[in-house]
Amino acid sequence: MIMIREWRLLTSRKLYISVMIGAPILCIVFFLTLMQDGLPNEMPVAVVDMDMSNISRRLTRQLDAFKQTEVVTKCTSFSEARKLMQEGKVYGIYYIPEGLEHDILSFRQPKVSFYTNNSYIVAGSLLFRDMKTLSVLGSAYVGKEMRTAKGQTEEQAMAELQPIAIESHSIGNPWVNYAIYLCNVILPGLLCVIIIITTVYALGSEVKQKRSRNLLRIAKDDMFTVIVGKLLPHTLIYLLMITLIEVTLYGYMQFPCKNGLCSMLVVSYLFVLACESLAVFFYSLIPIMRISLSISAFFCMLSFSISGFTFPVSEMHPIIQTWATVFPLRHFFLLYVDNALNGISFCYSWTSYLALTLFLFLPILSSKRLHTVYKYDVYDI
Amino acid sequence: MINRFFKQIREGFSDLLIVWYDEFRNVLSDAAVLLLFFVAPLFYPIVYGLIYNQEVAKEAKLVVVDDCNSPESREFRRLCDASRDIQVVAICADMEEAKELLRQKEAFGIMRFPKDFSKNIAHKEKATIQLYSDMSSLLYYKCFLLTATEVSLEMNKDIQIARMSNATNREAEVETTPLAYEEVAMYNTQSGFDSFLLPAFLMLLIQQTLVIGICVLAGSTYDQKKFHRMMPIFRHKRGTFRIVFGKTLCYVMIYLIMSFYLLWIVPMIFSLPQIGNPIEIVGFILPYIIACTFFGMTLSILIKEKETAYVALVFLSIIFLFISGISWPGSAIPDFWRYVSYLLPSTFGVQGFVKINTMGASIPDISFEYRGLLIQIVIYFITACLIYRHRINKECV
Repeated sequence: MIMIREWRLLTSRKLYISVMIGAPILCIVFFLTLMQDGLPNEMPVAVVDMDMSNISRRLTRQLDAFKQTEVVTKCTSFSEARKLMQEGKVYGIYYIPEGLEHDILSFRQPKVSFYTNNSYIVAGSLLFRDMKTLSVLGSAYVGKEMRTAKGQTEEQAMAELQPIAIESHSIGNPWVNYAIYLCNVILPGLLCVIIIITTVYALGSEVKQKRSRNLLRIAKDDMFTVIVGKLLPHTLIYLLMITLIEVTLYGYMQFPCKNGLCSMLVVSYLFVLACESLAVFFYSLIPIMRISLSISAFFCMLSFSISGFTFPVSEMHPIIQTWATVFPLRHFFLLYVDNALNGISFCYSWTSYLALTLFLFLPILSSKRLHTVYKYDVYDI
Repeated sequence: MINRFFKQIREGFSDLLIVWYDEFRNVLSDAAVLLLFFVAPLFYPIVYGLIYNQEVAKEAKLVVVDDCNSPESREFRRLCDASRDIQVVAICADMEEAKELLRQKEAFGIMRFPKDFSKNIAHKEKATIQLYSDMSSLLYYKCFLLTATEVSLEMNKDIQIARMSNATNREAEVETTPLAYEEVAMYNTQSGFDSFLLPAFLMLLIQQTLVIGICVLAGSTYDQKKFHRMMPIFRHKRGTFRIVFGKTLCYVMIYLIMSFYLLWIVPMIFSLPQIGNPIEIVGFILPYIIACTFFGMTLSILIKEKETAYVALVFLSIIFLFISGISWPGSAIPDFWRYVSYLLPSTFGVQGFVKINTMGASIPDISFEYRGLLIQIVIYFITACLIYRHRINKECV
């Protein structure tokens, strides 16, 4: 009964349809088109070439050949390049001093400099990597020329130049792909925002429209029936949406998922239920809809930072570290790392499963309070 | 004629003040709006500041598997351990043990020296170190890779110099690195997370709380049919400008004070880079707040009920943040989304503020952003007026 009633409510309002179905699809399309290349490519760099020699031109060409870097202008002075940087037109400057070639040939060890704009950290650090590689290689290249001139083979020369080499393996994300790193958490995170806000809204609307007593009557005053009946249609839609997200990410986009899609689906279903339970708890705690919506909005926005997928939780303030455990997205992130990236077994991550399950008990704690709210349908103060 | 004109102006102003006063009362009497306009801007930045307080990841935990156990490998790991970014937490007998530590989250990376490591160095062959990193945090990965590369460059140089027994120090130095280089990180010198994200976040916070707040206020009048409270204005049948200006004045006053706190005191508390000229910042913030206000008024047409604002707008914040071109570089945003982003005040606001405050640009340097905001003000002002006109007409009938 309640389910059918709720289903009619949902389908009768454009708001519900567009937020519950339209918004997650918008998010998927947005993030996957934004990060379609995995890494931001062809980021603008200015080269200040004071030397205009063979070697300096070769350095410029090589810098341009890096995938993430594009040399957009060649400036004649550093201040010109700095102005471009300040206007945000370039994210990095590569400075080649005058007399570079001459100094190299006469063993005077000239010095190139590179500048990155780190107020854009992603751009800055990627360009830093490219320009540093270029400078190290540039040195090695010159060294190689000197050695091959002395009659060594290229291999010998390289072994002599670089006696120790680092071979980097990035577990689970071998291409260091930003789309894998960000989308897998942001998309479920956005769904978490939508779930919590919409659920609080749906619960509050009952009181606002003065329908809550009617609802209690249908359910014969049983709060359990009310909550389950009301939220079941929502849950079905959300489960469908999270399935869509996970299938798009791991199926269509082929992002690595070591423990298989099924394990991630289990995790995300648990996550959806945890978010809904939390929403019920929020609304029961502060039954004034606007205020509980504000609080849940702040909570949701915070969960992106505090879940630790951009900045590790272990580096945060100790107080924040403790609080991170009350955010479902934090546990989702940990489970995602264990299941999709590292592919390790259940016994290492059971605490997070337990935490997500604990969220499911919140509505039971708060059902009595919700009952009172629904009975005396006070909407505003 | 002239008298009538003056009378109109006087009336206009007094109506404007009535609207302004009325709006102030509305703001102060609505707990949700108080939360949005005052409490959120006061406390939210502090929480964010605490989250990113450390700025950078330090002492990332690494385990070492040393199959070689030679002076060279010991030297290498000692140098890594001594660096700021890496802390060697354990030395394992084999890979299995190391992987186990990774699974237990006791460490985030493994460094493995192969058996023939020192032999290869001695034989002038290439010696390889394997570095495995857990990709749950890109920051740790960066710590490992950068430090290991740095240490390897350092040791490479020493090894090469040692091999050249007959050269002077300077000769050896030049021969190993014929081309020297120097790296400079500008504006955010320690590549801190706080300095990078917080300015963008603060500007976005201004837009989002203001827009949602305006929508909630507009929704309240809609909900409670309180439009009649503006009756004195309807008498004149020419109320649109007065209502729009009166309300705008109220929001701008509140947000100018809040932005002083957000954009001046908060960066000071967390000692973020702050090299902008204060007067230029004010000159930039004012159009930003006005653009946000008109933008919010325009959006409020979609809001039939005050709570809808949250449902429709909160999740968009994250998209707005990405589209503004700070966390994902603007040059890599596809054209379609870039044009969409020009609809939002936050895009220009975030870019302009970061350029002025973090990078020390002056207003002529950011003429693109400034012009964008001014165009937005004009367009959203017209749409806001049309919408209010429409509402007033509907209410009058």
